[in-house]
Amino acid sequence: MKNEALTYVRRKLSVRVSIWVVMFATFIFIAALSFFFFQAREAVRQEAMSHATQILNNTSIQVESIMNRVEAASNMAKWLVERHPDCPDSMMVYSRSMLANNPEFYNNSIAFEPYYFKQYGRYYSAYAKRQQDNSIRITQGGNDNYQYFFMDWYLMPQLLNRPCWTEPNMDLDALTNTSEMVTSYCQALNDKEGHFIGVINTSLSLNWLSQMVTSIKPYPKSYSIMIGRGGTFLVHPDTTRITRETIFTRTLEKPDTAMAALGHSMQRGEEGTKRMIINGMDCYVFYKPLGHTGCSMAIVCPESDIFAGFHRLYNAVIAIVLLGLILMFYFFIRIITRELSPLHRLAKEAETIASGDFGAPLPNFERIDEIGQLSHSFAGMQQSLVRYISELKDTTAQKASIERDLNIASGIQKGMLPKDFPTYPDRNDVQIYASLVPAKEVGGDLFDFYFRNQKLYFCIGDVSGKGVPASLFMAVTRSIFRTVSAHESKPDGIVKTMNQTMAEMNNTNMFVTLFVGVLDLPTGLLHYCNAGHDAPLLVGAGVGELPCDANIPVGVMPDWDYTLQEAQIYKDTTIFLFTDGLTEAMDINYAQFRMERVTNVATQALAQHQTEPKQLISLMNEAVGQFVGDAEQSDDLTMMAIQYIKQ
Amino acid sequence: MNTIRHWLVVIVLVICYSSVKAQGDTIVFTPQWTAQAQFAGYYVAEAKGFYREAGVKVRLEHPSATQPAMARLRKDVCQATTLQLCQALEIIDDGIPLVNILQTSMNNAMVIVSKKNQDPLTQKGARVGIWSVGFGQLAMCMSIKDHLNYQWIRFAQGINLFVSGALDAILAMSYNEYYQLVQAGVEMTDKNVYRFCDHGYNVQEDGVYMKRDYYLKHKDAAHRFAQASKKGWEWAAAHPAETLDIVMEYVNKSHIATNRLMQHLMLKEVLRLQLDRDSKKREFRLRRDMVEQASSLMYENMMLSRKIKYQELCK
Repeated sequence: MKNEALTYVRRKLSVRVSIWVVMFATFIFIAALSFFFFQAREAVRQEAMSHATQILNNTSIQVESIMNRVEAASNMAKWLVERHPDCPDSMMVYSRSMLANNPEFYNNSIAFEPYYFKQYGRYYSAYAKRQQDNSIRITQGGNDNYQYFFMDWYLMPQLLNRPCWTEPNMDLDALTNTSEMVTSYCQALNDKEGHFIGVINTSLSLNWLSQMVTSIKPYPKSYSIMIGRGGTFLVHPDTTRITRETIFTRTLEKPDTAMAALGHSMQRGEEGTKRMIINGMDCYVFYKPLGHTGCSMAIVCPESDIFAGFHRLYNAVIAIVLLGLILMFYFFIRIITRELSPLHRLAKEAETIASGDFGAPLPNFERIDEIGQLSHSFAGMQQSLVRYISELKDTTAQKASIERDLNIASGIQKGMLPKDFPTYPDRNDVQIYASLVPAKEVGGDLFDFYFRNQKLYFCIGDVSGKGVPASLFMAVTRSIFRTVSAHESKPDGIVKTMNQTMAEMNNTNMFVTLFVGVLDLPTGLLHYCNAGHDAPLLVGAGVGELPCDANIPVGVMPDWDYTLQEAQIYKDTTIFLFTDGLTEAMDINYAQFRMERVTNVATQALAQHQTEPKQLISLMNEAVGQFVGDAEQSDDLTMMAIQYIKQ
Repeated sequence: MNTIRHWLVVIVLVICYSSVKAQGDTIVFTPQWTAQAQFAGYYVAEAKGFYREAGVKVRLEHPSATQPAMARLRKDVCQATTLQLCQALEIIDDGIPLVNILQTSMNNAMVIVSKKNQDPLTQKGARVGIWSVGFGQLAMCMSIKDHLNYQWIRFAQGINLFVSGALDAILAMSYNEYYQLVQAGVEMTDKNVYRFCDHGYNVQEDGVYMKRDYYLKHKDAAHRFAQASKKGWEWAAAHPAETLDIVMEYVNKSHIATNRLMQHLMLKEVLRLQLDRDSKKREFRLRRDMVEQASSLMYENMMLSRKIKYQELCK
């Protein structure tokens, strides 16, 4: 299945291009949307922080505002009390006035040190409390069962040596058996000498604050908490935890360092934001101390709430992008397929042309784009192809004619050379064998021999160049050799005459290396003249080169004076003549056969008593064949062997 | 007919007498603090019917703001209350003979907690909070003996003075205020916590006391009450989870601002304190050596006018 899909994709350019385009678009979208979403999320987070901070600031300002009123009223009362510290009845009036003039105050007490007013005994505390019907009840607050000297509100301003707010606590009214969360502003009272004489304590109900904090709900699932100095919950959505648990309580059972850190930070009166997991939900907690109460308020906003809008946008955008990419993929395939359809037709037409129908009509797309250009080019190519094929036919015909001529020429050339070896099998004085392998249809090598007046006239040569010109020059050379040697018996005279004749008619600057020999058959005396040809080998008692003078090839300089040389050929000695096609035969690595190997083969033949002309040439052919292998030869290879066998 | 009428009158009189006698035999028991796991054994004894099985009528009444436990005992509003040993010695020295009918605590639970990184033993002249209703006798003895000269600040209850920074250190019970402080985020280390039991002040604390004259008149009821209470504590030790449920019922009924975790920790610690250090058993007995140690310490530091003898507390 996978392979089928891959094959389909490989076969369909439109699908491949569409995949690449969609992949690239996806990459661009991912990069752009990542940046966008990161920025958007950050903006939402900043907005949430700003919103929460604003709420916290407003709440704090409201709390501070009312606390300032308490502090101002308390300062006023303190001034009055310290001005008249010896009038216990006035304390009741001051205490009542505090509540009467400040409807939001919960209670007030002006409490004195034990036995400060001796007539009242150990306790004297003017205590005014607002009733549920808004009336004010005045009592003397201290007794054996309520020794106010040991209460926090009485001790704190003494110990801290400054006015202070107490930790919010539940105030139980024994008469009505009702309780209310209050916090108290306490100030130490001093006499004119500066001695501590008591405390003035003004309490404020925190129900309004509790209700206000509880009602703060910037997000649907968000909630607010408020804790005191000891971490006690004063406001919490789970009302069973209010005053019963602290922010640390659950961390004792299940350690939660983040919650503990938040608690400590809030206790220290710090302001800030923390991201943490609460009840398994990622939440942001914004917190700030509330005035001088020692309380700290926090707004807990689940991240899912803060980013709800962002997530909706995120999901919508992702869905749109995904849908867009799918549509883009679909339409790209369709469009590209449509745009490439001419190519499809063109391919079919190309197949028709390839099958041999070069005149098949091509569609005319009437387009000027790349496909139109391709169509036009293809049409041009078709016309060129038709023309080329036509020319090729002509050329092929011409070539066939030339090849026919060459075959004829080759036959003619071969016909000029001795053939049907052994040519003279009945002779008892000499045996001759030769072979000529042209590199092309016709070659420039030649050899010839004939008998006249008890003498063997022979020659071997190699025309410069190759092919038809060389073959024509070779034919001329052989004809002149026959003509000249018919009248001239000395090899040097034969060569000299041939040289003069050929040099004069040589307009093409061709030449031929030539070895001409005349072997006196009765005596075995060999006269010879070498015109620039490879020296022949003598294979008899041993193997050695026939000494040759340095003469230039025939056809170069008409006046050259060629030298005559002679040598005695003994019985069973074989004269081995060859052209450079033997020594320069090359193997596949362009290494040459070289003269050393020729000599070695001849030596082996001598050792094996295979020095008869045909045997020697066969061995030499075999050795050259093994050496060159499959390498194509560029030069003609001609060998001729003459063994003198006269008794 | 007259005979029948006579018998009917006799039966009615017997029933009325029994009822009156039963009412008169009801032991009102007032633990010295508000409802919490410190008194778990008594709640269990009441809830599980151990008092009823023992044939004694017991009514648990916690102290109120207007009537602390000691005031209730003095005024005979209750017949039994829990007291710490040192408190009991003070009261006896004050001329009110008491009888210890059941000793639950075998170890001292008092600690001094200082601010973070502060060592109570090096805080000479420090302002240390102490409960206004007592409990701090050993701490005063220690302050004198170790020349620390603490400035004792008597306060009603809670930990707010310490948490607000008004105190340098505070006395705490290892089963109550100690955990309240932990719950308030105070870090506890070996350095800032001084445990009296580890410094030669391992004096027993909670026990159940009756005025001696009442005890002498109701010896049998007192005995049965003590045995049923002891059974309650033993059951609590064997069934802490169920005990905690019972404790929370009492706590919630009294609207106490606490939570299950605090009560769980308190119960665990109170039960631990009931194990004698030497025998590792819940012995429920007043140790002579501890009574004599407490009496000597308090006498030497002029908290008692005379040494109270062990026998004065015994039945």
